[in-house]
Amino acid sequence: MRDRNLDKPTTNNLNWVIGVAVAVALALLPFVLAGFGRTGEYWIWVSTEMIIMGLFAMSLNLILGFGGMVSFGHAAFFGVGAYTVALLMKKGGVPFFLALMAAPVTAAMAAAVIGWFCVRLIGLYFAILTLAFGQLLYMIVFQWYTFTGGDDGIHGIPRPEILGPTGYYLLCLVLFLACLLLMRMIVNSSFGLTIRTIRENMERAKFIGINVRRYQWLNFIIAGAFAGLAGGLLAELNRFAQTEFLHWSKSAEPILASLVGGMYSLLGPAIGSAVLMFLKVFLQQMHQRMVEVWAIILGLILLVVVLFAPGGLVGLYQKMFSKSES
Amino acid sequence: MTADFFIFMLINGLCQGMLLFIIASGLTLVFGVLRVINFAHGSLYMIGAFLAYSLSTFLSGGSLLNFFLLMLVIPPGIALLGFFLEVTLFRRVYREEHLLQLLLTYALVLILDELVRLIWGGDPRSVARPDLLAGSVDIMSMALPSYNLFILFIGPALALGMWLMLYKTRAGNLMRAAVTYPDTLGALGVNVSWVMTSTFMLGCWLAGLGGVLMAELANIDLGIGMEKIIECFAVVVIGGLGSVGGALLGSLIIGVGITFFQLPFGRWALLFPYLVMAVVLILRPWGLFGKPER
Amino acid sequence: MTRKHLRIMVMLLSIIVMQGLAMTGDSMAQDTIRLGFVADITGVAAQFYKGQKAAIDLFIEEANASGGILGKKLELVVRDAQLKPDVGATMARELVLSEKCDFLIGGTSSAVALAVTKVAQEFKKIVYFHTSNTEALTTTDFQPYMFQVVPNTGIEGRGIAVALSKKPYKQYAFIGPDYAYGHAQFDSFKSDLTKLKPDANIIEEVWVKLGESNYSPYIPTLMAKNPEIVYSNFWGGQLSSFIKQAKPYGLFKKATLTSLFDLDMLRTTGMDMPEGMMGYTRCPFYAIDTPEMNAFVKKFYEKYKEWPSDWACMAYDGMVVLAEAIKKANTIDSDQLVKTIAGLQFKSLRGDRYIRAEDHMANVGLYVGLTGKDSRFPEFLIMKEVEEVPAEKVWLSVEEVKKLQAAGKK
Repeated sequence: MRDRNLDKPTTNNLNWVIGVAVAVALALLPFVLAGFGRTGEYWIWVSTEMIIMGLFAMSLNLILGFGGMVSFGHAAFFGVGAYTVALLMKKGGVPFFLALMAAPVTAAMAAAVIGWFCVRLIGLYFAILTLAFGQLLYMIVFQWYTFTGGDDGIHGIPRPEILGPTGYYLLCLVLFLACLLLMRMIVNSSFGLTIRTIRENMERAKFIGINVRRYQWLNFIIAGAFAGLAGGLLAELNRFAQTEFLHWSKSAEPILASLVGGMYSLLGPAIGSAVLMFLKVFLQQMHQRMVEVWAIILGLILLVVVLFAPGGLVGLYQKMFSKSES
Repeated sequence: MTADFFIFMLINGLCQGMLLFIIASGLTLVFGVLRVINFAHGSLYMIGAFLAYSLSTFLSGGSLLNFFLLMLVIPPGIALLGFFLEVTLFRRVYREEHLLQLLLTYALVLILDELVRLIWGGDPRSVARPDLLAGSVDIMSMALPSYNLFILFIGPALALGMWLMLYKTRAGNLMRAAVTYPDTLGALGVNVSWVMTSTFMLGCWLAGLGGVLMAELANIDLGIGMEKIIECFAVVVIGGLGSVGGALLGSLIIGVGITFFQLPFGRWALLFPYLVMAVVLILRPWGLFGKPER
Repeated sequence: MTRKHLRIMVMLLSIIVMQGLAMTGDSMAQDTIRLGFVADITGVAAQFYKGQKAAIDLFIEEANASGGILGKKLELVVRDAQLKPDVGATMARELVLSEKCDFLIGGTSSAVALAVTKVAQEFKKIVYFHTSNTEALTTTDFQPYMFQVVPNTGIEGRGIAVALSKKPYKQYAFIGPDYAYGHAQFDSFKSDLTKLKPDANIIEEVWVKLGESNYSPYIPTLMAKNPEIVYSNFWGGQLSSFIKQAKPYGLFKKATLTSLFDLDMLRTTGMDMPEGMMGYTRCPFYAIDTPEMNAFVKKFYEKYKEWPSDWACMAYDGMVVLAEAIKKANTIDSDQLVKTIAGLQFKSLRGDRYIRAEDHMANVGLYVGLTGKDSRFPEFLIMKEVEEVPAEKVWLSVEEVKKLQAAGKK
């Protein structure tokens, strides 16, 4: 059921042209939306959030799709990044760009510590341990009232003057594209190939002398760093950081997004995340009652995907339209 | 701390542990035989608790009879629900990767928890304890609620019952065999899928029982499902996935541990299960009574 | 990559198309005043929401029946924050941007309130809080486009300390929920108690995880050192559950309990509630005898066949303030209204009150009383011998408020 085609690197010139075209279209989007007044502003905000959560989903997928391991605690690193930005800016008076650079660093450190423990186990145990550590971090942030403000969170994070709604959207878009290119490089590098080899057959990888633990640990840290960046961006967008950012249910969002969008591709999770978010906002607007059953809808979607289309949307698309790909 | 107080706290902690054991044993049993970690186990427990509430509104008075009626009717109801889930959903993913199984059960959690909210609303509920158990018993000059003592006795009784079933009955033997030699069992002509289904139903029965008991112990609300499943995870990780004895030990450790850790550490006592889980996973990943599997 | 990019473009197009669709529903009549209620509908606060919504609906019905405010009818739009601040902030934003609300109404959770007040500030829409009462809203996180009609955690904590300092109790034990509200309120209580009654001793502090439903591990610890009085800032369902579970341990035979005895909680606990406990609450309709309150209670009971909870009364009061301000300023422009609200005098259900200019806090005090049975209410206890600790006695002085506001702005 795994579509290996997407693992192959492509260097088609046409792909690049289309890629740039799409990126330009996305960059122009906020200017188009700005013409629609208040409603447009709302959608700019939503789109910015979609980009950030897309990045978060892609970061998880480094562990999930490419690494072949389920992590239920990824929100912890997202939250660490968010609180880093929040605390540095609000309590430390650090300017935004510096704080934002610190976010992936602290998240990577957290991932290094937690990951060191987790990668010593495989499969189910790994998943449970990530959940446990995720919840642990959540509770620490929740209870350390004097430092993190507990469940009140940290509010009123300043926003630099030059970054209005459109400006911030563009910043997030640029960072997203930069991360995408970075991830692409990592995945296609020898490091990435090694990770995928481990995913396919861990015993064989060990036989050829690969230090499995080391590679999985490094992969975990990288994924954590990207998640931290996403968290930092969200904290600044919302202008607050809150304990919910670390809750296990937040960890589930990127998992769902990756599944729905397609976990064996790089952009799949981002697409899945955008689709799910869009669906939610749309349903909300259509009918108030829909929001109440959102969790059921989400659960049903997940059920359907797990049972019938584990390759996600991208996988489905591939299946429907694949002709020449061997 | 006086000896009185120590013993009192110990008994209190054991009570907590016993209730947790009832629920966690179901989870570990299901894993042992079906090799599936059923995230939705907590949701089934919660449904059992809410069903107990609903049923109790039809019964009047605090008699013991009503109480036993609840315990007799609801757990089988949950087992029936489990049967339905196993046949329609779980069966499809036995051959799939663990990842997909986990996600399937997670999807169930989302759906079931939300259904509970839609049916019963967000308000916390509770069921009154039967008159006989509503009072307290004096132990070492401190009053311990009778209901807690009742649970303290039910736990070992249940553990004994399970041990008897697993080791002394044919059905139990088949279950244990399915854990270690699933293929051989099939070759011997045993209907393995029926063994799996009935094990799953037993697990759900236990979850339902836990729910009924909890409804009288404390308020139940929409959060108890997720809260319990995480506690159960800690228990089965400490005790060993698939081992009922391990679940007993794990539950008691957690129950007593939280109660005692609270004294020096106050609210940070909540970290106790996580810390123990982390330590166990690092030093002895297959749990205290589990078997290493690689 | 080609096909993936095609997918992205298709999605982009559908977004733009959907936006178009969403915006066709955009022609809102400008002759209504739209109120956006960022409520906490699901979760442990579900009960509170019912009363709040009922009271607000009642006010809107009455106002619209007499032609609306400034000739405009009132409309209510509700969103569920689910007690989660990030959801609350998103909802607030949606209410302002998409639903074109002119004013916002806060919910139950203080954490959500802190997020919502920032959104209100961002878009310059006035928000009022009637249940969430963290002191931070009027101090460190103050912004002018808001007002508060519920006694804040400071007033509460210090108010009950004042009331208790007149009693002979010396050995205090405390149990409370381990989150921001619990800490904020306990801190105010502790500091004032030690000032007013130096020989009082807090011998035990037990912090319980928020939402914890099983108190068996905590109750013995609480009782271990034989306190005379247990002070708890549990609320609602948690408090009710705690009382029900603590009773068999014999806690109330050995110590008395002081806590927030609001109507919803009294109703839930029913006859399990011990008598003679000294408690406090924020707006007990049965103990307030003003013509406005009596009229309101009558109308509320007629319409809903239920007595109004504290939260319902205060949500209604908030609307009273808002309507009064709009009428006085003769506009719904936020900046004008902010000027009018500062110092505004109004006829609250609790009597004549005013909004303090420096922090937009209404001078609403705390009500302290003893639990007891009452023939009018056969299914639950109420508070008797109720006295109000006036806000002026226990709220932070203007200087202290200004200091905190300045500190928060940095």
